[in-house]
Amino acid sequence: MTDTPAAHPTDPFDAEALNAAEGLHPVDPAYAKVLRIATALNLIPLAIGASVFDALLIRHIEGPYGLITALAWLIAIVTIVSFPSRRVSRWGYKIGEGQLRVARGWLFRTDTIVPFVRVQHIDVGQGPIERWFGLSHLIVHTSGTHNSTVTLPGLPSDLAAAMRETIRRHIQTDFA
Amino acid sequence: MSDAAPPDAAIAAPGDESGWQRLHPATLALAVVALGPKSLNALPAVAALGFTGNWIWIVPAIGAFLLISLLAAWFQWLRFRFLVGDDEVVIESGVFARQHRTIPFDRIQDVSIEQGLIARAFGIAKVGFETGAGGKENDAALNAIALDAAQALRTTIRAHRSGEAAAVVAADAPDVAPAPDDRLLFAMAPGRLLTAGLFNFSLAALAVVGAAMQFFDGLLPFDFNIFNPVDWIDIAEDQGLDQWLLAHRWIAGIGAALSLLLIGFVSGIATMFFANWGFRLTREPRALRRTRGLTTRTDVALPVKRVQAAILVTGWFRRRFGWHELRLQSLASDGEKERDHQVVPFGKLAEIDPVLGEIAIARPGAEAAWQHSHRIVALGGLIGAVGASAGGIVAVSFGQPLGWLGPVAGLLIGAGSLFGARFHRWTDLGEQVAIRRGIWKPKTTLLPHASVQSIDLKSDFILRPLGLATLVFGVPGGSSLASHEIPAIPLGAAHDLRTRILAARARR
Repeated sequence: MTDTPAAHPTDPFDAEALNAAEGLHPVDPAYAKVLRIATALNLIPLAIGASVFDALLIRHIEGPYGLITALAWLIAIVTIVSFPSRRVSRWGYKIGEGQLRVARGWLFRTDTIVPFVRVQHIDVGQGPIERWFGLSHLIVHTSGTHNSTVTLPGLPSDLAAAMRETIRRHIQTDFA
Repeated sequence: MSDAAPPDAAIAAPGDESGWQRLHPATLALAVVALGPKSLNALPAVAALGFTGNWIWIVPAIGAFLLISLLAAWFQWLRFRFLVGDDEVVIESGVFARQHRTIPFDRIQDVSIEQGLIARAFGIAKVGFETGAGGKENDAALNAIALDAAQALRTTIRAHRSGEAAAVVAADAPDVAPAPDDRLLFAMAPGRLLTAGLFNFSLAALAVVGAAMQFFDGLLPFDFNIFNPVDWIDIAEDQGLDQWLLAHRWIAGIGAALSLLLIGFVSGIATMFFANWGFRLTREPRALRRTRGLTTRTDVALPVKRVQAAILVTGWFRRRFGWHELRLQSLASDGEKERDHQVVPFGKLAEIDPVLGEIAIARPGAEAAWQHSHRIVALGGLIGAVGASAGGIVAVSFGQPLGWLGPVAGLLIGAGSLFGARFHRWTDLGEQVAIRRGIWKPKTTLLPHASVQSIDLKSDFILRPLGLATLVFGVPGGSSLASHEIPAIPLGAAHDLRTRILAARARR
């Protein structure tokens, strides 16, 4: 696309560029919705708890009433709205050449490669929220103590099943 | 319970479509038994009913609890099915979140069959598949299938693997004479144990003496505790010895130092003798076998094919005399406590090399081109040093003179980590990677390419601008001594090394 293929993307915060530069496929954008709902389920009770705490305690001791409530809801809403899509765009994967490659994170980026021959067994999992959006996650188990499981979330269910079949075939044929 | 079982059996009885099987219906009976401890959760509710005077509701409440638990167990049983295929086991489980797990026979290391007391009464067994995946929860299990079915399953899987040497010989039988065709690789005579014990100098025994002092203080019938120095000082004062001691302080100092040394050496020698008395490492047809121990004798066989990596440990002082320790990392852990197997506790490199030869691992020669990690690995230590200094200075500013220890400690920590950073090095020997680290206790990890199960290439906001990356290897069988990572090396070198290791074919 560009005449000078830079080793690093010009904008280090542009996740598309990051994945593309490393030759990775992005996960399904719908996974952002899954993450968003999961985050909301975690944070909204916390924010409600903070509001109750604020109303019951801070008002009694005549502290700065409302400050904690406002902050809690602000943080919760910002986290729910902006973080999931960013996190999702940092995930990338590539399947092929007898190996599965999974990369995640930006601040602390981890790029894992598991050769198919090293796979012990494979799980395809689906939680209730993922099911609404037709997504699954693939879990690959290796016998290493570090990285004993490598998880790749945000795959359309049929793709996850297809990937499982691909890896399974390699386990059988490449057995040495 | 018993009236619930027959209808379930009727559901399970038809040989399910395309070979899918359910667990034995007696699983429900096991669930009823497991209710015993679980019903403790219901006790507060029952108690609350009793206290509020709603006595009539107690029996229905307990009944409802039992019914709900049974229903939950029944649903779980209903939604759990497994399939034994030609070369794989497939397990589907989960009531709400479904999980589909495929385990190829090729990857099953061993099949364990376990029978509890109740399981025995029902003629069922728990079948565990050991896949060598890290962590207990990763190993799949069929909680309850008929005993003969379990044995048939094990036979099937073992037959599938018959091409391989399926040798797991973790014998605990003591004093079994080694067969004549075994070769002795390494043994420790009492003289060697004594030398090793001297290098094993440790003041841990002082803690024991201290504990004994506390313990005997209130126990001895007479008012003199031989473990309490204060009592000795009292006696000394009675005899006028304190004047003599004050006059000859340096003699007292030397005496104290000598007794400390004595305690340290004696405890080091004692632990070495107890652990490694009669140490023998022999080569059997398929395994390395180690017998050792004075009071508890252990006999451990370590299949050669299962050795994943070798770790060479030494100390800054013993290294000057050429003494090293060899540990092997394997799928199994050594007893309860240790994650890797100590095969040469204390030996010269010339004695270690033949042992390494048996497992086809070579030590890097003197000409090996070691490459260094970037100095940035000292960063963690430096941050700690800055923290210690800052804390100390704050303490001093509050008028606490001891706070000066903070900056002093900070300086030492900083200098230590900067100096230690130079000792992180690695080299690629073609068939294996050697990683070396540490000044105080230098460790060299020899990691064959074929043992690597997965590779992480990590970078973060500090390493990335410097063009660095950290490589972390997933290796079977954890080691507490060495995490298999090469920290902070140039990104290009990391990519090259990763490609080379992934290209390596399994040796087996």
